[in-house]
Amino acid sequence: MLREFLIISLLTALGASYSLFSGLAPRPWAVPDLQAGEIRLEDAQALEVIWVDARSKDAYAAGHAPNALFYDAGDPTGSLAAILEKWLMEPRVIVVYCADEACGTSRKIAEELRANLPDAEIYSLKGGWSVWAE
Amino acid sequence: MGRVSPSALLPLLGRLVLAWVFISAALPKIQDPVAFSAAVDGYRIVGGSLSIWVAIVLPWLELVIGIGLLTPWLRRASGGTMACLLGLFIALHASAWLRGLDIDCGCFGMSADSPDYRWLILRNLALLTVTIFILRTSTGNKLSPESSL
Repeated sequence: MLREFLIISLLTALGASYSLFSGLAPRPWAVPDLQAGEIRLEDAQALEVIWVDARSKDAYAAGHAPNALFYDAGDPTGSLAAILEKWLMEPRVIVVYCADEACGTSRKIAEELRANLPDAEIYSLKGGWSVWAE
Repeated sequence: MGRVSPSALLPLLGRLVLAWVFISAALPKIQDPVAFSAAVDGYRIVGGSLSIWVAIVLPWLELVIGIGLLTPWLRRASGGTMACLLGLFIALHASAWLRGLDIDCGCFGMSADSPDYRWLILRNLALLTVTIFILRTSTGNKLSPESSL
């Protein structure tokens, strides 16, 4: 029995090595760890999420994620209502992004949204808008 | 060509169904490990690089034990591993249900539909029952005509 488990483990390891070294899968050691509530760009794009842009109005005007909703820090109630309306029409994962890794606004806004939309799945984007530019 | 005895027919059908389920669940996840790692993240139990490791290793394990269940000399270990995995999946779905998560199950690749936890748990319980039945009827991995069917 032990020999069978060893064979299964060996075959699984061979398959996983194929995925890793053929480029089918990303190298886990090369991917930065996510904090709780964060999501990577490629994962968010695969999920076709509702984007929420938490940068300045000028930065939003200069370029933003496809169909991103602008989060106006001066009018959080209005911004929340717009996000809620969009989410009710299309209940999908919501991802908030700010300028870059260090900004922190997206995490804060994601927390606010979680408090107001407990049924929604909400993340902040790892690396923020800067990862779009790469 | 040997005939399949009636007592061996039911375990044979069970093995074929289980092998088909596990192999067809594994293939789309092997092809798209990034999407599967997002589904693993959705359970909020593991995250970061660990969810990528899970997304790389788990589908290959499913594939190996799916084929192993049809391979006489790997049958019992494959069945045992399958039972452990199904128990784990049931616990994970129950945990996500209790926490009110709207996850992508990740069972057969990516899906945009919300999970029906009741159905997922019932399905895995049925598969677990079949697995236990196969393990009980399989006395060993002998290469006798009856056990190899």
